[in-house]
Amino acid sequence: MSDLEIQAGLAGAAARRRSGRRIAGRIGVTEVLAAVFALFLLVATLAPGLVAPGDPLAIDPRSAFQAPSWAHWFGTDESGRDVYTRVSHGTLSSLQIGVAATLIGLGFGAVLGTVAGMLGSVVDFTVNRLLEVMFAFPGLLLALLFIMVFGPGPATATLAVGLATAPGYARIIRAQLVSVRSSAFVEAATVLGRSRARILLRHILPNTLAPLLVLGTLGIGQAIIWAAALSYLGLGAKPPAAEWGAMLSAGRTYLSTAVWMSFFPGLFVVLTAISATVLGRAVERRLRHA
Amino acid sequence: MPPLVHHSRAPRSLAVVSALGAIALILTGCSASPPAAENTAPVSGGTLTYASGDAEPTCLDPHVGGNYPQALVGTQFLESLVSRDSAGTIIPWLASSWTQSADGLAWDFTLRDTVTFTDGTPFDAAAVQANLAHVQDPKTGSSTGYLAVRKVVSTTVVSPTVVRLTLSEPDSALLESLSQPWLAMESPKALARSQDENCAAPVGTGPFEVASWVKQDAITLVRNDAYSSPPADAAHSGPAYLDSIVWRFIPDSASRYAALQSGAVDAIDNAQPDTIVQAEKSGSIRHLDAPRPGASNRIELNSSRAPFNDPLVREAFIRASDVDSAVSSLFQGTATRSFSALSSIEPLGVSRPDLFGYDPTAAGTLLDSAGWTGRDSAGYRTKDGVRLSVVFPVSTNQSIPAEQSLFEQVQATAKTVGFDVVLSPLDLSAWYTALGSNAYDAVSAPYTKVGPDVLRTLFDSAGIVPAPSGYFANHAQVNDPEVDAWLTEASQTADATRRAALYAQAQNRVLEGFYVLPLYDQQNHYLLSSVVSGTRAMPTVSTPTFYDAWLNR
Repeated sequence: MSDLEIQAGLAGAAARRRSGRRIAGRIGVTEVLAAVFALFLLVATLAPGLVAPGDPLAIDPRSAFQAPSWAHWFGTDESGRDVYTRVSHGTLSSLQIGVAATLIGLGFGAVLGTVAGMLGSVVDFTVNRLLEVMFAFPGLLLALLFIMVFGPGPATATLAVGLATAPGYARIIRAQLVSVRSSAFVEAATVLGRSRARILLRHILPNTLAPLLVLGTLGIGQAIIWAAALSYLGLGAKPPAAEWGAMLSAGRTYLSTAVWMSFFPGLFVVLTAISATVLGRAVERRLRHA
Repeated sequence: MPPLVHHSRAPRSLAVVSALGAIALILTGCSASPPAAENTAPVSGGTLTYASGDAEPTCLDPHVGGNYPQALVGTQFLESLVSRDSAGTIIPWLASSWTQSADGLAWDFTLRDTVTFTDGTPFDAAAVQANLAHVQDPKTGSSTGYLAVRKVVSTTVVSPTVVRLTLSEPDSALLESLSQPWLAMESPKALARSQDENCAAPVGTGPFEVASWVKQDAITLVRNDAYSSPPADAAHSGPAYLDSIVWRFIPDSASRYAALQSGAVDAIDNAQPDTIVQAEKSGSIRHLDAPRPGASNRIELNSSRAPFNDPLVREAFIRASDVDSAVSSLFQGTATRSFSALSSIEPLGVSRPDLFGYDPTAAGTLLDSAGWTGRDSAGYRTKDGVRLSVVFPVSTNQSIPAEQSLFEQVQATAKTVGFDVVLSPLDLSAWYTALGSNAYDAVSAPYTKVGPDVLRTLFDSAGIVPAPSGYFANHAQVNDPEVDAWLTEASQTADATRRAALYAQAQNRVLEGFYVLPLYDQQNHYLLSSVVSGTRAMPTVSTPTFYDAWLNR
């Protein structure tokens, strides 16, 4: 290789790197919107009074079932409570359950998946069979079983949903680990005589964690929906508490006459899941390019 | 929603109606034509699918326990000794006539002599005897039926068609009690089976019989072709028109209404106020409003423990509850506010609007004088460091969502005065457990019984002691010897005027003692697809009967 060729190659690499940075650095419209929504959620979580000054439990029977208007942005429910105020004030409890359950699920999943993926053979076999058994139960059923044993309430509901989602995470993490482990750079590290622990920490885990982030953000939406289902069964948040899931199920009764009662809490669940995913993807892309 | 669902059917039925209408116009020169369905003669055949919003019974034999879900389905295959017509008069059914001795302690019932149960066992005096013994046997675990025939001490077979009931004291409510499905007649041969077997398929004399019951799915009833014993006010005689009835359970009210709209089911109960309003506009669904007899729907305040052992606190709670606004916003004109302990269809009900006005200021004053003067950090009142909280278990099986929302509104209005109302939605068994362990301050429990004698069930101190099933009906735990005495006398007297005066006295005492907060009649709204004709609610406990029903698909 001549100097010229090396210089050309370096220049090309630099150009690629620059354009790569530009791609990574460019912030899309969706990301901005997702960030704005996330910011709204953050404010609603920490200081709901700032975005909705009213009382989420205040009733006003005379203005029940009002469609969205300037006075009531998201309409009112069957007792005349303002749906916007309730959705905003419900952010904290809804997110709490979603985030905590996802963290629990990811934690358990990561431990199981890593053990299975790294130790292989008998351990892998055992963990896989265990996961299959857990998969045989629908997740919600697993959560219900857990609640039956440990009693209802928001804390057990969170733990139950977390545990119920763990098998899914464990399997994805294991698959990711196995594929990373057989990749060229791990092979190279093994050939160079690096220790197993060092390979795990330096090479395998960082490459497994990135997709985990996306997985986790996706899971928050699902966890909120499951927690909502449990609230619906009277095993999580209790009415008239402002919690998206509980509101969603309360509104189902009036779905044909007052759709806004369940539309907006549902919309917030969906938007939360979407913005978490968009932001998760953006962070993941930056991590990969760093 | 409705136009989308009915897309395939509406135009066809519309075409039929308008075609027939046109023919009628040509033939008669009439300016308006009634709906086509009403003009045709009943046709036999077909399967009617019914979807109930009530809890699925754990036992189909209404002698066991004895609740409304059992009565609903039991009405289709079980029959009683007597019935009641729409004017409230007791009419013959399985008993063709009856006489009472001069002292009121012996009743002779003459039975129809050609009736057989669907297992072939003849219906006779011995069968009546076996049924009353079954209800009164503690092992059966009856509560509703058991309480209704408490005064019956023995039954005697006078002849195969005459049975004598001997009473411990006169019972002015005996016939009303016997008209109820919870005291329906079942085959003695079937009753001799194990309770599990009898619960799965009780055998009666009714127009249908239980063919199968797949739990969590459906009860299938098939026509009894040998049927011969309709009540005196039925629209036809002989077997029913329908081949079979599929009895399903759809607890979620929105899904239940959607199933009716889509044609998946033909009839539903426990219709939600907003869907009733919508259905009445639609034209393709009919509304059958049949308030239940007996008690009104009310919130009962447990006077046996703090804080409601203090009448001032009970009154304060009632003054702090804005029920009127809640009823008008949530029930949208489908329910009327009640100020009585009894249903509006009970002629002896006493209504006291003066006692139940919403007045938060007065409520505050009452609480001050009752000593609840402190306030904790959450703004609730306290007394000696104890928060003024009201534990309110809500049965999600027995209270429709609109009613649960009403309780939430009561919670919100009572909060402004300083009450912490703790609503806990429970399934039926957890709810019974909460009541049985006296772990409640307020509760709303429907109680259906024919006639004003329900007052004795609800407010006599004997009702604090649980029936064999573990259930007790005096949830307010009214323990007033005078009330007991009045109700006892009322249930014994043969003098109608005296009876009315005593019931009025007892009701006034209970209402003025603020033991109950009346809400409205027990809501009992059925929605029927327009393909179903000939359905009526029994004038006894307002359950629908499909004996006269037929399908025009």
